[in-house]
Amino acid sequence: MTRDERLTADELQRIDDRIRDDWPTGAAVDFEEAIAYHESLPAHKRFADVLESADRPLLQPRAGVPRLDDQSRLLTHLHESGGADLLPTTIDSYTRDNEYEKAEEGLEKARETDEDTLNGFPAVNHGVEGCRTLVESVDAPIEVRHGTPDARLLAAVTFAGGFQSFEGGPISYNIPYTKERDLAETIEHWQYVDRLAGAYTERGVTINREPFGPLTGTLVPPSIAIAIMLVEGKLAATQGVRSVTLGYGQVGNVVQDVAALRALRALGNEYLPDEVTVTTVFHEWMGGFPPDEARANGVIGLGGTTAAIARPDKVITKSPQEFQGVPTKEANAAGLRTTRQLIDMVVEQDISLDGVDEEQDLIERETRCLMEAIESHGDGDVARGTIEAFASGALDVPFAPSDAAHSAVLPARDDDGRVRIFEWGELAMDDDIKEIHAARLADRAETEGRSQSFRMVADDVDAISDGKLIGRPTGGDGAGREGGETRAD
Amino acid sequence: MQLVEHCMPTTVILGVIGSDAHVVGITILDQALSAAGFEVENLGVQTSQEEFAAAAKEKDAEAVLVSSLYGHAEQDCQGFSELLAREDVDATTYIGGNLAVGQDDFERTRETFRALGFDRVFDSETTPEEVIRSLERDLGISTREAEYDRVQA
Repeated sequence: MTRDERLTADELQRIDDRIRDDWPTGAAVDFEEAIAYHESLPAHKRFADVLESADRPLLQPRAGVPRLDDQSRLLTHLHESGGADLLPTTIDSYTRDNEYEKAEEGLEKARETDEDTLNGFPAVNHGVEGCRTLVESVDAPIEVRHGTPDARLLAAVTFAGGFQSFEGGPISYNIPYTKERDLAETIEHWQYVDRLAGAYTERGVTINREPFGPLTGTLVPPSIAIAIMLVEGKLAATQGVRSVTLGYGQVGNVVQDVAALRALRALGNEYLPDEVTVTTVFHEWMGGFPPDEARANGVIGLGGTTAAIARPDKVITKSPQEFQGVPTKEANAAGLRTTRQLIDMVVEQDISLDGVDEEQDLIERETRCLMEAIESHGDGDVARGTIEAFASGALDVPFAPSDAAHSAVLPARDDDGRVRIFEWGELAMDDDIKEIHAARLADRAETEGRSQSFRMVADDVDAISDGKLIGRPTGGDGAGREGGETRAD
Repeated sequence: MQLVEHCMPTTVILGVIGSDAHVVGITILDQALSAAGFEVENLGVQTSQEEFAAAAKEKDAEAVLVSSLYGHAEQDCQGFSELLAREDVDATTYIGGNLAVGQDDFERTRETFRALGFDRVFDSETTPEEVIRSLERDLGISTREAEYDRVQA
């Protein structure tokens, strides 16, 4: 039965031996040798140190292309032209699905055709040596960014390859990223990842872990995201992780976003053990983007402004080409610079917003309801509690592709554009909190002269790409899609 | 509001292909198609070619709608139309989403997927209503113009 208990050295070794056979590059992973390698890296590449000693929000983009030289050039561009403080390596979707053979095929096609045939960097295929070449070619700390339910071999290879930060967690990289993976299994997979990170940490190589806050990136109620962050942080701490960055995805209502980031930091420090250094990361809008780049820059600017007010430790930036897919390096760098401009202009102003404290209180109360439910479902064991809570629906994520979640919760924006819960499913929440949400949503329905329905939710999903925050019923001029016959085949 | 008599509803297969887990698009499309009177068999995310073919055969589907948002559609769809032909699946096939990695020239993308055997190729700005109109034309049917609001108590 899956429990929140530290893996023993034997268990770590056993899993290690098993996974290295999953792909030939696993054979080159050698822990002791890897420790020595990390010790040889200069101070300005030590991820946790750089992150935790910063005095202003640091910027990090997402970026991954299949070929090594290209990835190196891309990251250098983002650092130099974009001003990125921390660098990523975004892993391709086949690798995330452990389809290393398909990744290899995509990589070969990329080499033949000179095109980016994969949506990220196949780090397992490139192996320890490839990763080290990459790490050495850039001048900033570098993190593995992905969406991988079973990230064991990826972690083994990239940690040995010189990466000192690794995104994800057993829930945040299961529920939004897969259909059929069992939650108990992914918890066990990530206990290995965290234990490995802990093993490096104990030897003086602090591996930073960053649970993935945005989850499904679609109108996720802040309290659900924060509860899952606290669970993943606790699970990581048990395995010896000492540097944890908890994440949150922008919803677009400034008051709610500032409140959520403050709640995330406060609860992170409260729930995680003292020996863990807790930092926070704000992800710029993770939902649908406007097709028009100028408008897209507006969305990015709002993210930068919010970050300047809320002061998370890190911001994950977006590019103005987001609607179309993976951006050019120039567009990616531009998103960084737009964000930087807003942060630098706003961070020195003293801005106080009405309603933040009240919203923060509400979010914290909601999060505590969920944490209590997890606690009671698991008799104090957070691993078991999470599994049971998802099974009963007491914990749930809207729009989840995974069979492991009920996905019965439906969100919608209230009349102020804040994300509220429209359908609760079995989500564990006090009645008076449910009444608050219901009242806010009723206000919106009245303003719009229509009843609450899935249509409202669908309109909210499209709203920002159509130029607005709230999915008001159509009639006005949208800024986004034109639709029409000519667009489609 | 047009109400149309159907002897049997038209069945469409819907899913996201390959290793892709983007679910929101097909969730909304499922709702819209259902409200318009289609019988939707939604296979969810990370659906293999074989699963699409098997479902289309089992349900005697008139259309197979493949969604792809993560950019690997070209690799994921190699041999798909041949598979459908081998399985005697005679359905109209659509593909839509972000079909290439990065900033593609859509005309080129459309050619690629027409060459892979798809009857229609839709870009990422396509609305559910456009899909429904295309299905009406291609399958020679008309659907009820439905408000898919449900009155909530």
